[in-house]
Amino acid sequence: MQSPALPVPEAPSLVPPALRGILPLLIAIPTLALFHWSLTGSDFATYLLSVVGVNIILAVSLNIVNGMTGQFSIGHAGFMAVGAYIAGYTSLQLKEVALSFLPVSASDQVLFMLALLVGGVAAALCGFLVGLPSLRLRGDYLAIVTLGFGEIIRVFVQNTDAFGRALGLSGIPQYSSPGMVFFWVFLVVLAARRLAGSSHGRSLWAIREDEVAAEAMGVDTTGYKVRSFVFSSFFAGIAGGLFAHFVPIINPGSFTFVRSMEIVVMVVLGGLGSTTGAVVAAIFLTLLPEGMRSLFGALGTEGSLAQRVDQIRMPIYGLLLVVLMLSRPQGLFGTKEIWDVLPRWLPRKRRGLA
Amino acid sequence: MSANAQPVAPASPDTKSPPALLRADGVSIQFGGLKALTDFHLSIQQGDLLGLIGPNGAGKSTAFNVLTGVYQPSQGQVLVRDTKVNGRKPHQINLLGVARTFQNIRLFRALTALDNVKVACRAQTALHQSRLGLGAKLVNAGHNYADWWKALLLTPSFQREERRLTAQAEHLLEVMGLSHRRDEEARNLPYGEQRRLEIARALGSQPRVLLLDEPAAGMNTREKADLMVLIRKLRDDFKLGVLVIEHDMKLVMGICEQITVLDHGETIARGAPAEVRSDRKVIEAYLGDSYLESHGGAA
Amino acid sequence: MAQLLQHLINGLAAGTIYALVALGYTMVYGVLKLINFAHGDVMMVGVYMGYATAFAIGREARGSFLGIAAVFAVAMLGCALFGFLIERFAYRPLREKPRLTALITAIGISFALSYGFQLDIGFLPGASPRAFPEIIEPKEWIIIGDRDVVVWNWQVISFLIAVGLMVGLQYLVFGTRFGRAMRAVSWDHRVAALMGIPTDRVIALTFMLSSGLAAGAGLLYAIKDTSVSPLMGLYVGLKAFVAAVIGGIGHVPGAVVGALVLGLVEEFVVGYAASTWRDAVAFGFLILVLLVKPGGLFGRVAAEKV
Repeated sequence: MQSPALPVPEAPSLVPPALRGILPLLIAIPTLALFHWSLTGSDFATYLLSVVGVNIILAVSLNIVNGMTGQFSIGHAGFMAVGAYIAGYTSLQLKEVALSFLPVSASDQVLFMLALLVGGVAAALCGFLVGLPSLRLRGDYLAIVTLGFGEIIRVFVQNTDAFGRALGLSGIPQYSSPGMVFFWVFLVVLAARRLAGSSHGRSLWAIREDEVAAEAMGVDTTGYKVRSFVFSSFFAGIAGGLFAHFVPIINPGSFTFVRSMEIVVMVVLGGLGSTTGAVVAAIFLTLLPEGMRSLFGALGTEGSLAQRVDQIRMPIYGLLLVVLMLSRPQGLFGTKEIWDVLPRWLPRKRRGLA
Repeated sequence: MSANAQPVAPASPDTKSPPALLRADGVSIQFGGLKALTDFHLSIQQGDLLGLIGPNGAGKSTAFNVLTGVYQPSQGQVLVRDTKVNGRKPHQINLLGVARTFQNIRLFRALTALDNVKVACRAQTALHQSRLGLGAKLVNAGHNYADWWKALLLTPSFQREERRLTAQAEHLLEVMGLSHRRDEEARNLPYGEQRRLEIARALGSQPRVLLLDEPAAGMNTREKADLMVLIRKLRDDFKLGVLVIEHDMKLVMGICEQITVLDHGETIARGAPAEVRSDRKVIEAYLGDSYLESHGGAA
Repeated sequence: MAQLLQHLINGLAAGTIYALVALGYTMVYGVLKLINFAHGDVMMVGVYMGYATAFAIGREARGSFLGIAAVFAVAMLGCALFGFLIERFAYRPLREKPRLTALITAIGISFALSYGFQLDIGFLPGASPRAFPEIIEPKEWIIIGDRDVVVWNWQVISFLIAVGLMVGLQYLVFGTRFGRAMRAVSWDHRVAALMGIPTDRVIALTFMLSSGLAAGAGLLYAIKDTSVSPLMGLYVGLKAFVAAVIGGIGHVPGAVVGALVLGLVEEFVVGYAASTWRDAVAFGFLILVLLVKPGGLFGRVAAEKV
């Protein structure tokens, strides 16, 4: 057709194109470093920040499959488990290793990064395996397969000596820090947003909107579905790896169906398809129980009530889902991002998904 | 072909002509016991403007679905430029240059008009890349993943490609008179514009053959007349072969050079509009035997 | 050989209970195309109703036939009512919304129930499992050889009850006016409504029926296991659901076959391999079946109309 005849317009941006790709990184890394060094809070604050970060990574990555691609995975904790165990196991094996040309702490961080990537890639491979059935299954059935996969992983770990069976893995070096966690939070958010605005992201949206039409317009729907699974589970694996390096012990109980559902609740609350929605919901739902706990503690009400927060959390999640579906099924932001729903007088981006 | 003409012959018996852009050879399809399409022949060349008509349930949309790979034929074969495409998936057939619209509009409702077109434009790029890895699926798969990295790293080449897609999609919106709707979500467009957006989207995939499933459905007379002109123009400007399914006899008679008439999945007539119009079987199928009785034969 | 026979019997006994629960999944899916994730938890609620009744009527009464009947009646009727309420207030408002919305709602209800019942506030029972009263005193009815093969009375009774309920259900679906209405709604509830079928009532009744069946099955399971716990719904429900999908969800005899097959597979894994692998094998088997036959053993994958 006439496409060669059409001139390709020049980049409208002030930033040279070669720089645009890495500009956010150039800004983020010093900021994160600053954040890292200035953080002198209590152990608990550090722990809480890390948990929030891990949950953000999980929610944003699940949103790629459940929100953008419109599939419904309810086994995300399974991928997280793969990442946690593989990364944890790698770190345990490399415990005695040090890179002699680097200072100890730097060497540890390099090894940590390596372990994370190994875990992430392992999870991505599992994502590929789970994505494959989507060649033949759609909708509800795919949900069941992801659920089944999560359970299979759990049972597998429970029966494997190398992973400590039901007792779990302990003694994993505590390499993780909020700085590292939020570096990955930054990466996953950036990746998700860039994906959403790219031609690949548009293909995923197209699958979500109308699979038949997407296929008819030349979108390899199966290929894209599998790739979105791979992409999403890679980051879930990273989240698992991070998690394994700041909790004292990981065991199969940390990665049950319940954990998967927690992440689903975050994504649904934020709005299926909204990256910033997933971030906001992940922060809110992670801090809410802590807030309730400290509130009850401060009020001095019976100590038991504060302890019970964890118990009450799950039924409340359930009710929250029901109420949300009945009153606002699109979640907080729908498919929009936070800057699309900000008040008028604030500067906003052009509308549309990109 | 006259009223009692011979049974319909294969569409393109002349082997000297260049290979048809899209050809159906004796295609039949069955759902359970129901024969939705029987021994269907069709051949589209560049510059053709063909019509496919028939009463409700005659198998017109089924024919479209077989041609585009949504259904697999039980018998016979579908060829794109002499390549047999039985068993290929719809997106592969689309990449070979066959694009379509849908009877019940199937836009990507939450996407903007521009993005709707860009989804299809993108596919063409994928074709060029898949040619690199011809026969080597692994290479191709690796390529697909590498392509995602380009998007994530926002490489200059990726940015240039994005701008090219945007320019191309904007051009198509302009052709279809939809520039003012560029950033509107597809679901918010009025009905007639949704139909045109579907055509723009189909053109985005840079087809050689365009299949339009009732493009004028729900339009008023003036809009239909405009559409007729537009379809002709698209065929000429984009050097397409076009196949139109239409309910409105007048529209089909007005623009199509050759018309195929289906009834109960069988091809009951094929020929120029005037011939088809006076075909006894066609009148029977459309208007029923009683019409013939009271009017005493063909009009 | 005797061992094999024993496993066969145990597997079938477990399978019949799964079957009753699986039928609930299949019926609801049939009329609404909804995977009612909360089905297992509704069952669990029914079992607690039976549990409360058994205690309310006292130790003597619960051993008698009337006592047993009362326990079952209260649980099944109460559970049917509960199912009705859930359908009326959670699912009906969503009927014309995308299917995902209802699926998420079902998951939410499942969570609220299974974790809500773990609280020990008010009437809620708390997380720890409780011993289920022996309303059917366990007896060895058939013994072959030197206790090589043992068939317990509750196995026979639950098998008979399960078969009876299934036959009744088959008659209901294919032999009554209500069944015809159900099948019509299953085909297309909008068209059915246009034809004068009271779809709301049919769907509500289907929910009540499936919940009642589930309560019955849950009691049988509790008798076998001699315990009740808030998580039993999640556990049994998931298995029954797997069974329904293996058979082809929406297909009544398919659910039964799927459940029996699953019961046997699990029993053999426990018997000949390791019990810790049981859950993984159940899901692995499910995925295998779906890969070979995407619609389950008897189901068909409906081609989408384009």
